Amino acid sequence: MTPKMEIRAVSKTFHARGGEVAALQPCDLAIGKGEFVTVVGPSGCGKSTLMMIAAGLEAPSSGEILVDGKPAGPAGPRRTVVFQRFALFPSETVADNIAFGPRVAGLERVETERRVAEQLELMGLSRFRGAYPHELSGGMQQRVAIARALAVRPEILLMDEPFGALDAQTRTVLQEEVSRLQRELHYTVLFITHSVEEAVYLSDRVVVMSKGPGRIKCEIAVPRDASWRGLEIEEAGTRASFMQLKREIWELIRAEIVRH
Amino acid sequence: MLLLLWWLATAIPELVPPRVLPSPFDVVRRFVALAGEPFSGATLLGHAVVSLQRWGIGVLAAMALGLPLGIALAWLPPLRAVVTPGFELMRYIPPFAWVPIAVLWFGATTTTQAAIVFIAAFPACIINTQLAVAQVDPILARAARTLGAGPARTLAKVILPVAAPTIFTGLRIAFSNGWMALVGAELVVGKQGLGFLISQGQINDSAATILVGMTTIGVLGTLIDAVLQRTQRLVLPWRPVAARPTE
Amino acid sequence: MTPGTSATSPRWTGPATGADLTLSFWRREPGRARWLAIAAASLAAAGAIWWSATRPEGLVSPLFLPPPLEVWEAFVRLLSRPYLGSTLGQHIAASLRIVIGGWLLAGLVGLPLGIAMGWWKRVRWISFPIFQILRPVPPLAWIPLAILWLGIGDPARIFVVFIAAVVPWVMNSMQAVDSIDGILVRAALTLGASDRQILTRVVCRTALPTLVAGARIALGNAWTTLVAAELLAATAGLGYIALNASRTLEMGILLVAMAIIGVLGALFSIGMHLVTRWVAPWARSGVAT
Repeated sequence: MTPKMEIRAVSKTFHARGGEVAALQPCDLAIGKGEFVTVVGPSGCGKSTLMMIAAGLEAPSSGEILVDGKPAGPAGPRRTVVFQRFALFPSETVADNIAFGPRVAGLERVETERRVAEQLELMGLSRFRGAYPHELSGGMQQRVAIARALAVRPEILLMDEPFGALDAQTRTVLQEEVSRLQRELHYTVLFITHSVEEAVYLSDRVVVMSKGPGRIKCEIAVPRDASWRGLEIEEAGTRASFMQLKREIWELIRAEIVRH
Repeated sequence: MLLLLWWLATAIPELVPPRVLPSPFDVVRRFVALAGEPFSGATLLGHAVVSLQRWGIGVLAAMALGLPLGIALAWLPPLRAVVTPGFELMRYIPPFAWVPIAVLWFGATTTTQAAIVFIAAFPACIINTQLAVAQVDPILARAARTLGAGPARTLAKVILPVAAPTIFTGLRIAFSNGWMALVGAELVVGKQGLGFLISQGQINDSAATILVGMTTIGVLGTLIDAVLQRTQRLVLPWRPVAARPTE
Repeated sequence: MTPGTSATSPRWTGPATGADLTLSFWRREPGRARWLAIAAASLAAAGAIWWSATRPEGLVSPLFLPPPLEVWEAFVRLLSRPYLGSTLGQHIAASLRIVIGGWLLAGLVGLPLGIAMGWWKRVRWISFPIFQILRPVPPLAWIPLAILWLGIGDPARIFVVFIAAVVPWVMNSMQAVDSIDGILVRAALTLGASDRQILTRVVCRTALPTLVAGARIALGNAWTTLVAAELLAATAGLGYIALNASRTLEMGILLVAMAIIGVLGALFSIGMHLVTRWVAPWARSGVAT
């Protein structure tokens, strides 16, 4: 079966003043439909670059991105992105931010309204539909960003360390939300994070990258039917299978950090 | 490319009469002429020096008064209450509007020009200095206090170094405002200086003179700013020099 | 002039001031009531000094600084009778016409050009050098050239005001577009917006407060330049009144003219601040330009 998204032999080299900087060695990654894949790795391994290429926001130096077996083309609503820094449009209210994608696509007003209402409900934002981004806390802003990304019904959702800029408590709450959403809606997701715990909690598969310039070191499957699925993250963290996976992945990363 | 267009446009006499826009060569010729022989009292250099002198006096006075006052205003809030009403009233009167009264008070002398430069440069000095000192993170002053520093030492060793880059930016704005104002003042009064030169150019129907004057004014203005930027880099090497502010 | 930075407004708390009672009186920010009291006292003191210095036995001759009464009389006189051929209202209108006209024209040209320069690198590459050259030349330096080309009259003054205003319009608009966080453009791309949609829906709207700030600076420049232009080449207007009054030693009228010029300048600045707030209520306040 054709994977939903395929990253084939993608590498990236930047041309800087002193010469060339290799950010990413050739990587291959396939993501199936409805699969939640997380990429973890030491700082500077190029995981964000990989995500930008997957989103179509940067061109790879080699290789290609395929969606449903065909070249993915430039960035667009088939693969929306949730950024670490929220990237909400400051001049638009919450509702207008969420409506941006549908409007730009030319959807009629009724349909746009419907989608906005749907997302507001889904992300618990109904009370804030008229607020501006600067009036909201970080956690709320990120919820709006997620709602905005989902309003266009993307085929693939890309999340670039979405909780990195949030405090620990908000982070926990949002992790549980995303987990809930995934169990209900089965999006195809490519997720990037520093946190191994987050990776294990949310994903079906964890991909570990090597130290920069990065390549895919190995992939670890997370069983769908694990005992801790559906629990709160605090509780899940106490289960033996969870801790085992965490340790395994962390050891792989640590080996990369201390290498050389 | 612009030069090329200019030369082309003036090469054809019927297209653009030389009275309106002289060719680049005419301008260069005029430049050489002005550099050599006195026109309306002095050579180009002579006029430029006079202008720079007046400007220099004005900005020095603005700095001498504006910097300490700006620091004082930020440091001593009651003083702000005293000064603000008067200052706000005067602030919106453009430097030019002071020209007639300055001429009456000081006559058609260097003092008048310097006074206008002062009026133009002073607000930028004082406002930006005050802003610079006020914007220093209060936590630094508190830290200094807990370490036992008295107010004077805190001001000198902690606040001022942090505020310095912004103060410099303010100086750049002030210097530039002063230069712009000087030119205008010289257009109206005075018997020497670059402003006077270009107004004479207009009276004598010599567009080339005007253009030479304008270019010199522009070049000197840029040089002043560049020198200040260089000074900032030397004196405060730890901070990047921001791009020229658009005011 | 830097109209727009209201640094002496009571909102600025200096380093470690505030209602911190551990500080001495001089370092403490006065409360609102006390602040108003000090300000009022200062104004009253200044007024008293003015009045006493300009009394017949005072230190200052009325030719140097007219007494308050004379200024008031001059004001009343200007209101009631025409001066130099036009009423006060007509003079003010003459000045306003030129300043607003030149400013709007500069905006019509400068705003789109600036945005284009910020958005399309090619446009910037062509136009930027022109403005780099224009910028250091004080707008007033254009006056003789303008008179040479257009003669003494409205067109020359509008031209000079245009030049004074167009540079801030262009440079600020360009910078406004430039300073938009790239991540917003990327986000819009991922949501499927085309280049044109990004420009209109995201860039222009987000840049709006900065664009209005540019307009405000342009207006300030325009007003300053107009006054100078009127000193040199006018037959009506506030600058013209001031110039004539100084020649005929009518000090009272001179001061009134200066005061009106200042008041109008202040009104422009306040007006533009209000426009900023109206147009972009979402903008974070506290951006000091």
